[in-house]
Amino acid sequence: MNFKEQRENYRLKKISAKEAVQESLVKIKNDKLNIFINHFEKQALANAEHIDNNFNDFKDKPLSGIPIAHKDIFCTEGLPTTCGSKMLENFIAPYDSTVVKNCLDAGSIMVAKTNMDEFAMGSSNETSYFGAVANPWNHDLVPGGSSGGAAACVSANITTISTGTDTGGSIRQPAALCGITGLKPTYGLVSRWGMIAFCSSMDQAGPFAKDAFGCAALLDAMASFDEKDSTSTKREDINFEKSLSKDFGTLKIGVIKNIQKLGISEDVINAYENSKTVLSGLGHKLVEVDFSELSSGICSYYVIAPAECSSNLSRFDGVKYGYRSKGEKDIANLYMNTRSDGFGAEVKKRILIGTHVLSAGFYDAYYLQAQKVRRMIKVKFENFFKDVDLIFMPTTLDQAFEKNRKSDDPNRMYKEDLLTIPANLAGLPAISFPNGFKNNLPIAGQLIGKYFGEDLLLNTTNKIQGVTDWHKMTP
Amino acid sequence: MDKIELKNLLFLARINAKEEEYPEIIEKLENTFELIDEMQELDLSDLKPLNNPLELSNVSREDKGNNRNNKKKFLDNSSESDEDYFNVPKIIE
Repeated sequence: MNFKEQRENYRLKKISAKEAVQESLVKIKNDKLNIFINHFEKQALANAEHIDNNFNDFKDKPLSGIPIAHKDIFCTEGLPTTCGSKMLENFIAPYDSTVVKNCLDAGSIMVAKTNMDEFAMGSSNETSYFGAVANPWNHDLVPGGSSGGAAACVSANITTISTGTDTGGSIRQPAALCGITGLKPTYGLVSRWGMIAFCSSMDQAGPFAKDAFGCAALLDAMASFDEKDSTSTKREDINFEKSLSKDFGTLKIGVIKNIQKLGISEDVINAYENSKTVLSGLGHKLVEVDFSELSSGICSYYVIAPAECSSNLSRFDGVKYGYRSKGEKDIANLYMNTRSDGFGAEVKKRILIGTHVLSAGFYDAYYLQAQKVRRMIKVKFENFFKDVDLIFMPTTLDQAFEKNRKSDDPNRMYKEDLLTIPANLAGLPAISFPNGFKNNLPIAGQLIGKYFGEDLLLNTTNKIQGVTDWHKMTP
Repeated sequence: MDKIELKNLLFLARINAKEEEYPEIIEKLENTFELIDEMQELDLSDLKPLNNPLELSNVSREDKGNNRNNKKKFLDNSSESDEDYFNVPKIIE
């Protein structure tokens, strides 16, 4: 069952919110893929009863009666929020993040919080303190990361929607590897308040669902202006669900020139070429764009993200919240030992890289140069969008890979984000959707749009999904 | 990167490591810098650095009090606190 059918069933009173929640909870308790860090049976059933008892108040809300799983990066009042880290294993958030509150107000019921790479740093979900998540399509493979649990949850039909965050591809890459649809909104559309910070100038929350329809409804709930987030943007009220049926006419879509030079697998390129035929068949005009500077985005990202991470994660010192090293005689050792024991290897590595690139003597060569590359990528996109309405490219270089395969070669893991990072550096919205299968594993393409062009991204994806069946495949 | 530089870096980041772990850490960091250093070949002297994609002005709000009192919730999250304070080891000798 997809989101649309589930919500329709609730609205027609074919199923109660409580029954929907109970169905999800049974699957959560039987989960063999390590998708969840915590689930909340008592609270979920109580919330479902509240929604059922106030049916008329909730029935027209975007997420009425729908069980939802939140990535464990969003603070949830009175409940654990671990961010996939030993550092926050016992942290009880004192308030709800704006995303969680918005989803609750929109009629959804949180049933669980999903596993993720520690502090959202990873592309395979293997850096989680709570262990790796398995890919629902093949349990020996990774689901992608960092929102690997959230993507696997929807892929495995445990809930029909879930939330994630995308700093360098952490929604789109797991969506691609798990065969579902995932959208990274424009930076500033969804509030970051109560979302544990990794790289504040790129972090952005977004929806997962099987299809564009579910993503549109969830984004309607998630997006809001929030005075508690200093980079939140005031937008006119846009109804993404309604925009799915709007007629945007014939589009000019940029497709990547010389794509075979980017190190993308043959199967992914074949799926890409087939999707180009689908786009042409829908009446859109395809125009080649030259994105040969794509790879420099990775260099920029792996300076800026660690730099901001080293600053953001300096708050974890064992004093006010989180893990604290025991028996320390002085404050210096308390800080050092807390951070050394509480953070995992990947997080510590990124803190060290970030500290190095921000330190005297290296700042200009690394941090400033990376910010200039970031400007270059943004200008590149601005120039593309003078000629085209959307850009289409594959989401990943290849399909899901084996556990441990790339964690032994970190640079190979980092290159996993080659095609997703540019949209984060520029702050642009992008949606990943399944566009092929090979060896019973999904392949995905992504559309990148203009700033605040989520309506067009969702509309175009919805039209593609109207004439293809890849999003209906189920593990 | 040599051992003295790494020791300084670890101190700045407030992270501990045993000296026998240094070679492995240095190798991992240098491996990452090999990837990053590819951008040094680009001549971007004409471009201004970009620190925020939308170059927005900050959202500001009125500085006003409210009736929320989360003191207990905040203190409860600390592994060592008493009624009103977070406890830490002695700081000044």
